[in-house]
Parts: sequence; C-alpha cells; structure tokens
Amino acid sequence: MGDVKLEHVSKHYDDVTAVDDMNLDINDGEFICLVGPSGCGKSTTMEMIAGLTIPSEGKVFIGDREVTNLPPKDRGVAMVFQNIALFPHMDVYDNISFGLRLRNYDKEEIERRVNRAADVVQLEGMLERMPDEMSGGQRQRVAIARAIVRNPGVFLMDEPLANLDAKLRVHMRTELQRLHKELDTTIIYVTHDQAEAMTMSDRIAVIDSGQLQQIDPPLVCYNEPANLFVAGFIGSPSMNFLDGEVTEDGFVSQNIDVEFDPANLGVEVGRDVTLGIRPEDVYLIEDEHLVTNPSHEIDAMTDVLEPMGDEIFVYLKLEEDAETHLDEDAVATNDQLLMSVAPDTDIEEDKDVSVLLDRSKVHLFDTETGKAISHGIESGIQASEPTGTEAESDD
Amino acid sequence: MSNESSGIGLGSDDAEMKRGPLGRWVNKAIKNPDRAYRSMFYVATVFFLVTTLFPFYWLLVIALTPNRLISNMGLLPKGFNPEVFITMFERVPFHLYMFNSFVLGITTTVIVLLLASLAGYVFGRLRFPGKSFLMLGILAISYFPPAAFLIPLFELFTGNTAISIGFITVSSPDLFNTPAPMVFPFSALFLPLSIFILTTFYGQIPDGLEDAARVEGTTRLGALFRVIVPLSAPGVATAGVLTFIAVYNEFFFSFLMNNGEASSWAPIVAGILKYQGQFDTPYNLMAAASIVGVLPVAILVIIAQERIVSGLTAGALKE
Repeated sequence: MGDVKLEHVSKHYDDVTAVDDMNLDINDGEFICLVGPSGCGKSTTMEMIAGLTIPSEGKVFIGDREVTNLPPKDRGVAMVFQNIALFPHMDVYDNISFGLRLRNYDKEEIERRVNRAADVVQLEGMLERMPDEMSGGQRQRVAIARAIVRNPGVFLMDEPLANLDAKLRVHMRTELQRLHKELDTTIIYVTHDQAEAMTMSDRIAVIDSGQLQQIDPPLVCYNEPANLFVAGFIGSPSMNFLDGEVTEDGFVSQNIDVEFDPANLGVEVGRDVTLGIRPEDVYLIEDEHLVTNPSHEIDAMTDVLEPMGDEIFVYLKLEEDAETHLDEDAVATNDQLLMSVAPDTDIEEDKDVSVLLDRSKVHLFDTETGKAISHGIESGIQASEPTGTEAESDD
Repeated sequence: MSNESSGIGLGSDDAEMKRGPLGRWVNKAIKNPDRAYRSMFYVATVFFLVTTLFPFYWLLVIALTPNRLISNMGLLPKGFNPEVFITMFERVPFHLYMFNSFVLGITTTVIVLLLASLAGYVFGRLRFPGKSFLMLGILAISYFPPAAFLIPLFELFTGNTAISIGFITVSSPDLFNTPAPMVFPFSALFLPLSIFILTTFYGQIPDGLEDAARVEGTTRLGALFRVIVPLSAPGVATAGVLTFIAVYNEFFFSFLMNNGEASSWAPIVAGILKYQGQFDTPYNLMAAASIVGVLPVAILVIIAQERIVSGLTAGALKE
C-alpha cells in the first residue's frame, strides 16, 4: 500500500531544472532519506510525491495508483514540514483532528484517534493548548501526531528537525525511529544533514543537482560510494581526494603514490583518476600494526589539530608551503591530507610525521566522470600476503 | 503682540533686560524643544477637533432649535426641542432608509470580501506573468471618478442597452429602484482597496501552512477559507469596515439609481432629502436625521478603530 515509485520524473522551472529524470522505487514500510546539499532538488522531489508540485514530466505512483495529477488531499499521504506549520489559530486538538474533520469522521472516532495519536507522541494533557504556548519539541510532536492520526500510507518529512536545537534534534531522531518501528509505514525523509540520514534510514538516496546519485543502505553509501559526490557528501569530515594518474605501478600523484596492479582493477594505464581516502583510514607509522594492507610511508608535516574528544583530526601538509583548506567538500587537495587519530595519540602541531594509508579502504574514481572504479585495493606489492579483511567491511 | 516682540528684540540685545511672556516662552522652548513639540501637538489637535467636530455640534444646535427660530444662529441653540428626534421618524420612515443603507452596505461588503479574498490570494500567493501590471490596473480603476461610469451604467441598469448575438438580442434588465444598480458599482469601485489590503495580508501567511492544509485534505479554496482568511482576520476586518463605511457614506450612485422612495431601496441620503417639502424646509429634522444617520458609523469606527489602524499598518510593517 505504501510503496512509492517515481518514473522519469523531472521538474523544470523557467530556466532551472530542479529535478532531472528521477527514478525512485521505495518499498512499503521503508525509511528512506533523501539527502543532498541545499537546492539539490530533494524538497521538490518530496513536494511532487505530496502533490504540492506537479512534475513537468514523468509519473508518480503511490501504492498501485498513478497519482501524478491528483491533488494532495487524494493521495493518502501525510507530511511534516520544516517550519512545523501548525495552524496558529487552532488548539492542539483541532490541529490534530483537522484532516479527520475535513473527511467527516464522526465525533467519537475523531476523539479516539486523536487520543491515540497524542498517546504515541506523548502529548497527553496538552490537547487544549495553543501552538504558541508550546516549546519547539512539543510543536514538532503535534505536527507528527497530525500526520499519523489519519493512518496514511506514506509519511513525508521535510527536514522536520532542522529548526530544533541540537540536543532536541538527537532526541527526536530516536523518537522518529521508535515511531517508525511502531507504525511500520513508509517514511520519506528529506534532510541535508547526513548524520540524520545515516542514523535513521533503511536506505539513503543521495541527490545532487536534481539527479539521483546513489540509493543504497547507509553503510553501503559510506563504504562504497558510487561517485565522487557521494564520497564527499557522506561522512564528516569529508573524504580526502587526491588527483593523479594510473601508471604501471599503480596510482601516482603529486605527493602520494599508491601501488597496485592496474590490470587487477581493470583500469587502463594513463587514465586520470581521483583517489579517495577517509580520515580514519590514514594511520601514523607507529600504528602500522593496525593496518592489514598498508601503503608505503608518506612524509608529511602536521598543521592544525582539532581535538574532538573521542578522536583528533590532524591536518597534514604534504608540502612545505601547502595551505590549509578547512572543510571543503569533495575538492581534491593534492598537497593536504586529513587524518583522524585516537585521542591519546602523542602528536603536536608543526612536526614532521610519517603516515600510511589503509589500501583496503582506498577508493578510486574516474576524475572526468566521477564514477567509482574500485573500493579498496586488495592486491599489490604484498600480493602474497592474504588480506584478512574484506574491503567493504565495517570499521 | 508688539511689546512682546520688542521683548524678544531687547532680550537678544541684552540677556539681563526684562522680557515679555512670549520672549520667556521662546527662550524656554529653545532650551527644551519638547515643549515646542508638545504645544505644536496641542495646536494641531485642537485645530482638527474643531474642524471635524464643530460641524457635528452645529448639526446638534440646529436639530434642537425649533425650525421657525432657525435664522441668525449663534453658537447655542435657540430653544430646546428634543422631540425632533421622534418627529423625524414620523414625518419620513427614516428607519427604512437606514435599513436600506445597512442592506446595501452589508451586501456590498460580503461581495467585496469574497471577491477580494480570491483576488488577494492570487495576487498575494501565486506567481504568474503580468501580475504587477494587473495589480496596477486594478489600483488605477480605484482612481477613476465614479461620474465617468454613471451614464453607461445608468443606461445599462435602466434596461436601455441591448446586445445582439446573431439572431438573439438580449436587452439588459430594468434594475432601476432595486439594490442591484447600487451594489454592483459599489462593489466594483471599492474592490481595489480591499484587494490591496488582503493581498498584503495573504502574502504574509507562510506557504507551509497552506501546504499543510492541502496535504491534510483541503483544496486550495478550502485552505484559503479555513486557514489563510482566519489568520488574516485583522486585515479582513479592516477591509470589511472600510468598505461598509464607504458604501454607507456614498452619495453619487445612491442618489441617482433610485427614485428616492424607501420602498425603492433608497438609502439615507434620499431619506434626508425627503424632508424637503413643497412649502417648507425643516432644517431641524434634516439635522436630526443626519445625526441619527451618522451614529451607526461613528459607533462602528469607535469599536473597530484599533483594528483598522493596526490592520492598515500591520500590512506594511509585519516582518
């Protein structure tokens, strides 16, 4: 009942294409996150599912019905909005029962349902209040109650937690997961916060410039990003990227070379590739014993340290005069590398260090198209030594 | 006056010299400009009160003076004749004229609010090409003198216009002496202001609320009347009150589109003129009728003034 399908859906505004040939297949009961940077078309996609925006091309299906041109009220969806959007002139009870009253349910049924919904989101005893007498978290719960009270087939949530403070956001995240478990309805959730997407969803749909980049479970997106964009977007801080070229001996760039046999990976020699490595897969030479499939040593110099408590982010300069670029998304920085180390590591700023990469966690992308070529390099100079871990395994 | 100004002149020459009262006041005002502003305020207020309220007082004076004594009037009534407020209803069914005025005012207000709500929704919340041009056109109509429309409208509403479509000729119905020839022009003339007020109000309601209502199960129209209009209550009230007052005060069409009889939907204008007899002109009755006619609007303004002021300014200032 609650499966949602988008077939070749596009939305053009005057001169902009907000959504470009989107194909999505969402199963009943699934929790899907649409993530992407601001203006990538994720909200437009959701509005087209809700019916608030009519697609320029393509078809939208909910359940077995085509709903492309149906108004929102006939689609059997409920939506929670970023700005919460409670009706300020109605009390909580009237807000929650709004949709039921429009559908002429009888009084007792409405009361029973409202009480149950209020129960689920823990709003008992607040039904008489007006929205402006409530805190942000309570209002958000009213909005969720308003959505669940109609038993919709599909829930749409458009950055529902964006306007809450950090602590409440983490709390509501767990609440939403609990709710999903309880209701077992399809939830489509739009967010630009990849942490929300990673923690809550069954699958993540990464969207950029109106195009679907990848739709996979969170850890697959994390460990096997389909392209440069996904690799740079998922994970915080972002993955390191190095531009280089494939030679007979493997990857060669300005400062870092990684050996592999191009034939094994099916890459032709001479191709421009971008190497991606996550900060936690860069190790100090002292920690070499932790790495099963190390690269050779790389000389670097520590620049800035960012102690986070549970780990330390170390910005490494690969050249003397390298400039520190802090937090740039998916930009290849050939003279710089970000490393994360354990909090008790003895490390100082502006010291020479040697580091190495975990070759089983190295990602190779085609520089031109951005498409992933391989995730992890298994074979190489130490081909005789059997590799203990799968490339895709978790940390 | 002359010795006061000489006081200033002497004072400016030598501060120790004694000054006239005006000189002292000027000196204080220079040291403390608030005094000057406050006195300016009082002067302006008194001026406005006198110019606006004096005619009303004058009406009362004339109403209370018996008609035969009305000549060479002073500031006080010559005599005291409160029965005039009863006689005026006996001579002319003034309550019927007032009823007509109310019906015309309320009908027009309802029509204007309905249409202006739809137009305000479109202008305030939708984007479409030519929007500002259309809005400008609507506002331009409100600047036209009503007299410009009188002759064509009179011809139309008295059934003197016929339209031929092929074989069929449709002549306009004779609506003279019905409310229609007043309500239609009133609605058209007073719509632009209401559209303008409601556009600013409806434009400020967040899109999310309308979207929420639509997802919850209303149509666009349903969202307008269930969510947007209630949330814009001050704006709707302002537009409504202003329209009602404008219709109630209207003279031109009210006078020309009926024969002046209460049974022909003539409003209070005609009622007041009805006292004019062939052999006498009862000024006291006319004055009394004017006072009674003004009262409902005066009461409405006093009750609604806070709303009107906040409604007019909120549109411009909110957020």
